[in-house]
Amino acid sequence: MREAIHIEKPWFSASLKEWIFTTDHKKIGIMYGITSLVFFIVGGIMALGMRVELFNPGTQHVSPDTYNYFLTVHGALMLLWWAIGIWGAFANFLIPLMIGARDVAFPRLNALGYWTFFAASVIALITLIPGNQIMHMWTGYPPYSANPNSGLTALFVFIWHLTGAASIMGAINFLTTVVRMRAPGIGFFNMNLFLHGVSSMNLIQLLGIPSIAGAVTMLFLDTYVGTNFFNPAKGGDPILYQNLFWFYSHPAVYVMVLPAFGVISEIVSTFARKPIFGYKSMVVAIWAIALVGFMVWTHHMFVSGIPDWVKILMSYTTVLIGVPTGIKIFNWVGTLYRGAVVYKTPMLYALGAILMFLIGGLTGIPLGLPAFDIAVHDSYFVVGHFHYVLGMAVTLAAFGGFFYWWPKVTGRMYSEALGKLSFWTIIVGSNVLYFPQLIVGLSGMPRRYYDYPVIGEWITLHQIQTVGAFVLAFGILLGIIALIKGTLSGEKAPANPWMSNSLEWRLPSPPPPHNFDEPPKVEKDYCPHGYCKF
Amino acid sequence: MAHEVAHHGEHEVSIWPLPVGVGVLLIPLAITAFFAWKAPLAALLAGGVGLALIIVGATGWAYEFFTKGHDEGHGWIAIFFFIISEIIIFGTMFVAFWMARVNHAEVWVNSWIPEGLSLSIPAFLTLVLWASSFTIWRAEVALEQGSRSKATTYILITMALGILFTVMHVSEWVHLWHQGFTLMSNMYGTGFYALTGIHTSHVIVGLILQAYALMFILSGKMNEKKMTMFSATVAYWHFVDIMWLLVASTAYVVGGLHI
Ligand code: HEM
Ligand SMILES: [Cu+2]
Repeated sequence: MREAIHIEKPWFSASLKEWIFTTDHKKIGIMYGITSLVFFIVGGIMALGMRVELFNPGTQHVSPDTYNYFLTVHGALMLLWWAIGIWGAFANFLIPLMIGARDVAFPRLNALGYWTFFAASVIALITLIPGNQIMHMWTGYPPYSANPNSGLTALFVFIWHLTGAASIMGAINFLTTVVRMRAPGIGFFNMNLFLHGVSSMNLIQLLGIPSIAGAVTMLFLDTYVGTNFFNPAKGGDPILYQNLFWFYSHPAVYVMVLPAFGVISEIVSTFARKPIFGYKSMVVAIWAIALVGFMVWTHHMFVSGIPDWVKILMSYTTVLIGVPTGIKIFNWVGTLYRGAVVYKTPMLYALGAILMFLIGGLTGIPLGLPAFDIAVHDSYFVVGHFHYVLGMAVTLAAFGGFFYWWPKVTGRMYSEALGKLSFWTIIVGSNVLYFPQLIVGLSGMPRRYYDYPVIGEWITLHQIQTVGAFVLAFGILLGIIALIKGTLSGEKAPANPWMSNSLEWRLPSPPPPHNFDEPPKVEKDYCPHGYCKF
Repeated sequence: MAHEVAHHGEHEVSIWPLPVGVGVLLIPLAITAFFAWKAPLAALLAGGVGLALIIVGATGWAYEFFTKGHDEGHGWIAIFFFIISEIIIFGTMFVAFWMARVNHAEVWVNSWIPEGLSLSIPAFLTLVLWASSFTIWRAEVALEQGSRSKATTYILITMALGILFTVMHVSEWVHLWHQGFTLMSNMYGTGFYALTGIHTSHVIVGLILQAYALMFILSGKMNEKKMTMFSATVAYWHFVDIMWLLVASTAYVVGGLHI
């Protein structure tokens, strides 16, 4: 059956007009990927600017306002464009292939979703123009964000509205696709864990984004129209913003990490040459994390004056979420146990992501305990924590996914040597960068400052971080070069270079325009993970 | 193979999402221009062009769907997901309103409730909207049975009721505003206009959707075989009507009673 599929026109031979007006999920996926990656690099350059400034105490090269601007936009870009946006790329390209569909349920809506994301990107770029900066951090807490000194709040509000609208369109589309368009034989308990990852992600987006959309709409009205949502003098409440903000933004961290778990599961089972250990518990754990994720948000607000019983309650639920997370890590280890593990580049990235997530998660649990968190809240310890989970676990998983599906997407193999080199550079650079953040945070360095007192130990720790940051940046560059070089001069990729059992590998590389000309028939005991059976 | 070539050109491009997307960019820019850049002329220009692009794009989009697309019946599930997220948007405003009502009950009752607030207007508005829920349901049944002219009549009645609702509501706002009860006065004013304002904006979106549906029913493109889009419009309208009960009881009853 595979031979019968006739490649007419791989995606990259399309004309410019076909790109701009495309409704093909593969092209849209690639457009998402490129946009995400470009903004990842922009956000990364801003981070390097901040690290250069922090190399020594005092003001060096970056003024306080510019520093605040860099930090605000760095946060927004890395979270909304990179850690969330990149999964839009994977979801678009892979969902229809993995469920055996020709496209998503609403291809034109999918295109509009991308252009809305693009519109948000234009607004993000407008903040580069002097006079239009936003400087109140990615969280945008009032009352500061409603103050003209904090920059152009309107642009901040529309960044959230537009990325949010794009995500809701995507969520509706992908959920409908997965619910209604699976090929016969692919059910809830035998579909790819990546599909569970992105579906739970999309459900969270659907339920959470409206909350942040409401919060920033109120912020806009307060700032420009003079309403009183966050004005205590007239009955408003600034803590309301924090509640609405975190009601989305805590679940949002699972938006970033659940698809990463999915990618890790695909890669680990393929390269351990075993079906995923405890598949059903993996599925249940993903959905449990998504659900409990909505019940922990006040762990970001332990010092905001919320009642004690709320602190205690959400401290419990925060620790509770460690259980399904632990199940996942246990099952990955179980999958590796007695597997015939092959250490190709994607596998290195996936294993790195698991280990770094372990550190990130283990620093998160004490943060969920008010007794500890009140001491380190808004310190570099928190910065270290979320860079372990985002800067490393999510980023490594995304790069692992790039290398893993690159042959399928481009039809070419990447260079293994360069890929492995990029992994080792990134993992060394990241740890040199992020581990000192935990230490300097514990010793009292607050986050979000462009300066710090002349304390010998702090200077050393900051200088180590800056060195690590440049090593990391070099590693990312190597990774991108490895991928681009593969595309230009790599060997031709076979349909299934990794001998995976999953449906997307049964198509030629790159997949033909229609994916499956006939709805694919999968074997009776279809299991997407594990050693190739067909 | 020849078949596939034709197929390819037909399915994988559409020129309509892009203009809508550009409109989606221009509208926020227009709002920013008006409020933050203080450039009302630029705001008018960007807003006008943006709106025109969205209208043209959405019309072309629907036309393309009705001439070339297949109705696979996924629409109802999409509108279901969309309504869920809408409920949460309303929820944020309810939370703001209720929190202020509970935490500042005393000043609220003693000094924030305007004199001119009467319960008879929202009661009448409720009747209007609920009658429109009934008529749009009749329109759906008529269309299912293939009776386009009957469906058209019912949609027109629904739209008339929706417009009546909007006009009455706006005049109510003007009345209260002139009494000194504004968005800025206090949290009651803020919550009152925010809740009812967001609700009315949904009524207007519902009316626009109905106008689209009417256009395609009149031209015969929307019929009993291709009516998922209309069913979605109907579901959305029911949602707006049910939501009105919560909005009105919060904004007028919970907010306006002296307890
Ligand atoms: C079991 C896992 C986790 C636990 C228990 C946990 C706990 C926490 C807590 C309590 C805080 C607040 C610290 C403070 O501000 O004082 C925090 C901050 C944060 N966490 Fe986690 N976390 C976990 C996993 C994750 C994951 C998976 C991500 C992202 C993929 C993430 C991203 C963040 C971010 C971005 C912040 C900082 C937000 C900000 O204030 O700007 N966390 N975490
Ligand atoms: Cu959290």
